[in-house]
Amino acid sequence: MKFLLRKVMLYVFIAWAALTLNFLIPRLMPGDPLVLLMERTEGRLDPGALEAMAEAYGLTDAPLVVQYWDYLSSLVQGDLGLSIGYYPVPVADIVAGAMPWTIGLVGVTTIISFLLGTGLGVILAWRRGKRSDYVLPALTFLNGVPYFWMALILVLIFSVNLGWFPVANAYQPILVPGWNPEFISSVIYHAILPALTIVIGSFAGWVLSMRNMTVTVLGEDYVTMAEAKGLPRRKVLLRYGARNAILPSITGFALSLGAVVGGSMLTEVIFNYPGVGYTLFQAVQNQDFPLMQGLFLVISLAVILANLLADIVYIFLDPRTRAEA
Amino acid sequence: MKLNSLWPASGKVRAGLIIVIFFVLLAVFGPMITDYAPRATGNPPLQPPSADHWLGTTQTGQDVFSQFVHGARVSLAVGFIAGVLSQIVSVLVGLVGGYFRGIADEMLYILTAVFLVIPAMPLLIVLTGYLPTRGMISVAIVITITSWAPAARVLRAQTLSLRNRDFVEAARATGESRMRIMFYEVMPNALPVIASGFLFSTIAAILAEAGLSFLGLGSLTTVSWGSMLYFAQNNQALLVGAWWWFVPPGLAIAIIGAGLALINFGIDEYANPRLRTGKSRRKAARPAGRGSAAMSSTAASAAAGAEASSSSSGVSEGSLGGTESTETTDDDASPPQIRGSEVPGDPVISVRDLIVDYPTEDGAVRAVDHVSITLHRGELLGLAGESGSGKSTLTNAITRLLRNPAEVSGGEITYHRSTRTGESTEVDLLNLPAEELRAFRWSELAIVFQSAMNALNPVLRVSAQFDDVLRVHRPGMSAAGRKELAQEMLHKVGIDPERVTAYPHELSGGMKQRVAIAIALVLEPDVIIMDEPTTALDLLVQREVLEQVMQLREEYGFAIIFTTHDLSLLLEISDTIAVMQTGTLVEYGPATDVYSDPRHPYTKTLLSSLANLGARI
Repeated sequence: MKFLLRKVMLYVFIAWAALTLNFLIPRLMPGDPLVLLMERTEGRLDPGALEAMAEAYGLTDAPLVVQYWDYLSSLVQGDLGLSIGYYPVPVADIVAGAMPWTIGLVGVTTIISFLLGTGLGVILAWRRGKRSDYVLPALTFLNGVPYFWMALILVLIFSVNLGWFPVANAYQPILVPGWNPEFISSVIYHAILPALTIVIGSFAGWVLSMRNMTVTVLGEDYVTMAEAKGLPRRKVLLRYGARNAILPSITGFALSLGAVVGGSMLTEVIFNYPGVGYTLFQAVQNQDFPLMQGLFLVISLAVILANLLADIVYIFLDPRTRAEA
Repeated sequence: MKLNSLWPASGKVRAGLIIVIFFVLLAVFGPMITDYAPRATGNPPLQPPSADHWLGTTQTGQDVFSQFVHGARVSLAVGFIAGVLSQIVSVLVGLVGGYFRGIADEMLYILTAVFLVIPAMPLLIVLTGYLPTRGMISVAIVITITSWAPAARVLRAQTLSLRNRDFVEAARATGESRMRIMFYEVMPNALPVIASGFLFSTIAAILAEAGLSFLGLGSLTTVSWGSMLYFAQNNQALLVGAWWWFVPPGLAIAIIGAGLALINFGIDEYANPRLRTGKSRRKAARPAGRGSAAMSSTAASAAAGAEASSSSSGVSEGSLGGTESTETTDDDASPPQIRGSEVPGDPVISVRDLIVDYPTEDGAVRAVDHVSITLHRGELLGLAGESGSGKSTLTNAITRLLRNPAEVSGGEITYHRSTRTGESTEVDLLNLPAEELRAFRWSELAIVFQSAMNALNPVLRVSAQFDDVLRVHRPGMSAAGRKELAQEMLHKVGIDPERVTAYPHELSGGMKQRVAIAIALVLEPDVIIMDEPTTALDLLVQREVLEQVMQLREEYGFAIIFTTHDLSLLLEISDTIAVMQTGTLVEYGPATDVYSDPRHPYTKTLLSSLANLGARI
């Protein structure tokens, strides 16, 4: 329990750090965001939007502490300011509209890719030294492929050339979103290519790390002892080898989630997939600073939460963390 | 140092280096061999690759090859600069935190955690979104901010494990300054970690730059691989099928990423020999710590060199064993001293002329050379020898636990199974089919490992580690029966039966070793191999555990092969003693005879060194 408490405290602190970072970035980066905004939009901006932005930043002449306090209290009320690009829509509304798409896409694909990669990693570890080792360089290559480029290639092959899948969007634009079979099947159909991109882009990393970890664990005395006990090979591999080797993968799961989120953001841009990545991209294009920051904050908090969940899973998997001491 | 020794032996590292060198050369010289300026328009638009335009042209008629080689410069430069910068930050943070501990460490640890958890790409996007000008350097700096943390954490862990090593203590004792210790003692030993961190952050930076540029957030006035993809995407290159426009830059990123990762594999395998595969594994097929003296001298010195400089292992057993045994090679001339055994009872395991080899590129290393021993029912055979003498290889051959690449090249091992009628059937252990071997294991021959800390599965309760044996070998037994038996066995080794639900980490070292003994006894095997079972324990506990073993032997009557390098201990407990040196059995006979009348010079040396130490036997 002490372990959990320490973890929770650490994540609360990290969340606070993210909030504060979010507050400080526009104030500490060289240049004045308002000036930057006016320059880049060349006067095409709604005067109200400019005011909204000044207000969002609390860019009054008030001392930093007062600004910080205002920032925190409006956050507590769920107020992320007003979007400039879609003035006067509240940032919170836009974020809320984009989140489900990303959570659905990234959530499902991450789990698939973790299970697939970890399983394959264990198999490759068991068969090390055999011909299956020759897939390792291919996996290394896959691991280095940028997500967005993988997306481009998949679109080229499966959409442009073969015409099997749609080029873009999360569902057929003529459909009205709702819980009906037609809409849901359209969503799944449109999600296949983006999902494939993320799985292909991320599973190789799991394979490689799980393989290496399992190979290391298979050299431990307790694995040798399990073999000497006359246990079936499968049991030796899974209960003694993989069961221990997966522990660092769980810690790694949380950390690489950040990378997956980053990669999937770019994937969303290619597929015009209406999640947070695409929205962030548009926000940057529109110089929509409040939206940018709102998205950054929400993404960060979601990743922090996922990290906490991974640590809780870890507590269940590793008895040593539950020690009294 | 010969020139070819600079060329890495591992195929992976070679491939990786070739890839990286190729792209570096491309970035340096590529722009000189193209006639087109990267941004010059005016060529025919959207041409596929041709002799004129090696990679075709863009929508506005720019030469893709020219953009590609110019882009290589920017992408590699940003990757390199960000890789170096972020490694500097992580070395500072990791070393300072790990070395100074205390409040500075706490703060740095939390700071690292913050940057580790906050997703890099969104932070990167927001930071560059605010950058007033986006030059190569400022993009590299922003990437550094988001990418230093993972390496810093690894380095901190490495520093923590290094700071209490002897050589650091020694430096402290001689009054070296902290800075000097950190950068001259600790840092060089963390070099593999730093190098691998550098490779990783370089890959991450190349990918990040490409991602940013692809979003239109990089420096769009310079051509990079990312910005090529940005313009390709924005100009619908995909829909018009202009693959030559967007395939090369992405492919280049993936290949160079793979190249850096391959080099990193080499570093990993160097630091962690278990990961070696195929050729590199075979090449390194030096039986760790065993029989190294039998190697040809060049191979031995190369191996010792590799060992000594291998990052985390410090001074290893292998190199020690090697030097020790070369010192004593004079004794090789003396013939083995084998005396008739007077142990009563039938044989249970007999080893005849066993040969075990470790194939290497310079020929086979013989770890066990024509060894014959016989273990009788109820006998305690003490197997003595220093690290590298081949005693573990011998017991591993008996238990059929030899690891690749070790192979039995001759001889036989027979197990004499006693049947109900009191007769015995002979079992050829080396040719036992897999299923029969599984059935034989543990029920007839069990093992107590050197260090029980590592012999018990840390994530399973003690009860589960009894359970899986019983499930396999006593399939008819009920769950309640299994639990009862486990508790009974714990009681027998003097542990509170309630501790059956404990996890290994909740037990002390001595208790873990007792649990391991209890698990070994649970099927009442005929033979137990004890591989230095008490070496890892402190003296008092050692004594207790040993007495326990002797008591249980009285009760169950199993035979023991007890390996150790502690000859005085063996003389005290064994019926028979076998002394091994560089793979051969040099002395074998009843313990009392060996003590009173050692015949082989090596045994004599060992015994006299015991006498010098004042051991009372």
